[in-house]
Amino acid sequence: MTALDRLSPSRRGFLLGGGALIVSFSLLPPLAVAAGTGERKLPGSLQRDPQLNSWIRIDEHGVITVFTGKCELGQGIKTALLQVAAEELGVTPESIRLVTADTALTPNEGYTAGSHSMQDSGTALRYAAAQARSLLMGAAAARLGVSIDRLKAHDGAVVADDGRRLGFGALVKDEALHVAADGRSALTDAAHYRVIGMPVHRVDIPAKVSGGPAFVHDLRLPGMLHARVVRPPSYHATLLRIDTSTIAKMPGVRAVHRDGNYLAVIAEREYQAIAAMHALGKAAAWNETPSLPEPDQIFDWLTSQPADRVVRRLARISSRQPIAAPTRCMLRSDHRARLPSSKMAS
Amino acid sequence: MITLTVNGNVQQLAVDPETPLLYVLRGELALNGAKFGCGLGQCGACTVMIDGVAVNSCVTPVGTLHGRRIVTVEGLGTREQPGVLPQAFIDEQAAQCGYCIAGMIMRAQALLEHNKAPSDTEIRTHMEPNLCRCGTHVRIFRAIRRASETLRHTATPQGETAR
Repeated sequence: MTALDRLSPSRRGFLLGGGALIVSFSLLPPLAVAAGTGERKLPGSLQRDPQLNSWIRIDEHGVITVFTGKCELGQGIKTALLQVAAEELGVTPESIRLVTADTALTPNEGYTAGSHSMQDSGTALRYAAAQARSLLMGAAAARLGVSIDRLKAHDGAVVADDGRRLGFGALVKDEALHVAADGRSALTDAAHYRVIGMPVHRVDIPAKVSGGPAFVHDLRLPGMLHARVVRPPSYHATLLRIDTSTIAKMPGVRAVHRDGNYLAVIAEREYQAIAAMHALGKAAAWNETPSLPEPDQIFDWLTSQPADRVVRRLARISSRQPIAAPTRCMLRSDHRARLPSSKMAS
Repeated sequence: MITLTVNGNVQQLAVDPETPLLYVLRGELALNGAKFGCGLGQCGACTVMIDGVAVNSCVTPVGTLHGRRIVTVEGLGTREQPGVLPQAFIDEQAAQCGYCIAGMIMRAQALLEHNKAPSDTEIRTHMEPNLCRCGTHVRIFRAIRRASETLRHTATPQGETAR
């Protein structure tokens, strides 16, 4: 096993051992050279979409739009991602337009899950914004005939130490941001943060306290119909027979769909679909077979099942020592000790 | 045909009277505020006011509401000009995912319309039916208290105070 293999991100996880929570991690820096290929790995989701203007666009009027493939689920990422982009661009979060998860517009960043939004999208946006700032400052340096160290990005413009300034809009000509993201631009030092880490109001809250569209079911599409699925009454139940003729004639019902054990109904209005779902549930005849253990016999059932040995790799982290060689141990837990059996039936 | 007053507008609705009010608000009137949470009247995400009383709209058949006065969170203000309670929720950042919040605001509105200066215990007791799975209760509580303080410091006619 190579060192790279031992430390690969796929092994990352929370491991419980010896009463201490130990977090294993990858030692690979974000810009590490991928093993064997010689290709540089770009930071965060830039790896998935390495085109700078997939993440940031600035129009000739200086309007900044940033894009993320992650979705606001109430975790506040719209606000946090705006803070990240604003920090590196030297602008206020309010001056940036943000487009979230839209298959027609934004980078594909897969699921919004696992606390990865800031880690992946935030990292991508941070490097992209830093690179955009760097490109704009380079363009300004050439235009003004001064060195970059005499320039700073401030409030949507590049400002020289002699007071001359060029707006971002005037500097983005010739597709300045239509370049490959390089993930190399210097990031703002944490000691100089103006926006990141500062308390700001969440941008998604005003819609949520005023009935604005904020959740997926607030979408109303032209000609939209509503569907409901009839769930089987028990695990492994099979649908014996169903007479759908009366249900198909219920108000608003457009279709009853059966595919083996899958039963669903489509209607014009949501509550019509719900009423039809209830009627379908009553009309359906299911064949049920006991396939789950009785609640009061669950522990005997569990211990009678074939057991798999699960071996987790543990690494102990010490400030003085490098990560120790992997050790093997068995993790055991006796759930019976924690719940009195009388509680189990309830 | 069922006639309702929703946020001050008279609505004539041709729907099955069994339909819970929630589906009429969301489906027929395109109001996003009231949310489907449990569908059983147990979580409060669908809370609206009917004649000044906080009610779970998911279990209230619309056929029982002929001529009644319904207020949803949309009736308290707009995004641009929030009412007292919505503004207090913004000021306190009293939302995590925000799914329960419109219901929370409407239950609190029903309290403040009758009692502009509720005690902490009265707020807690009154808000007890509404659940927040994110655990934003402390901020929600602070937002209601803030709105109550705002109302006490703005002397306007009763009934107009929290709009």
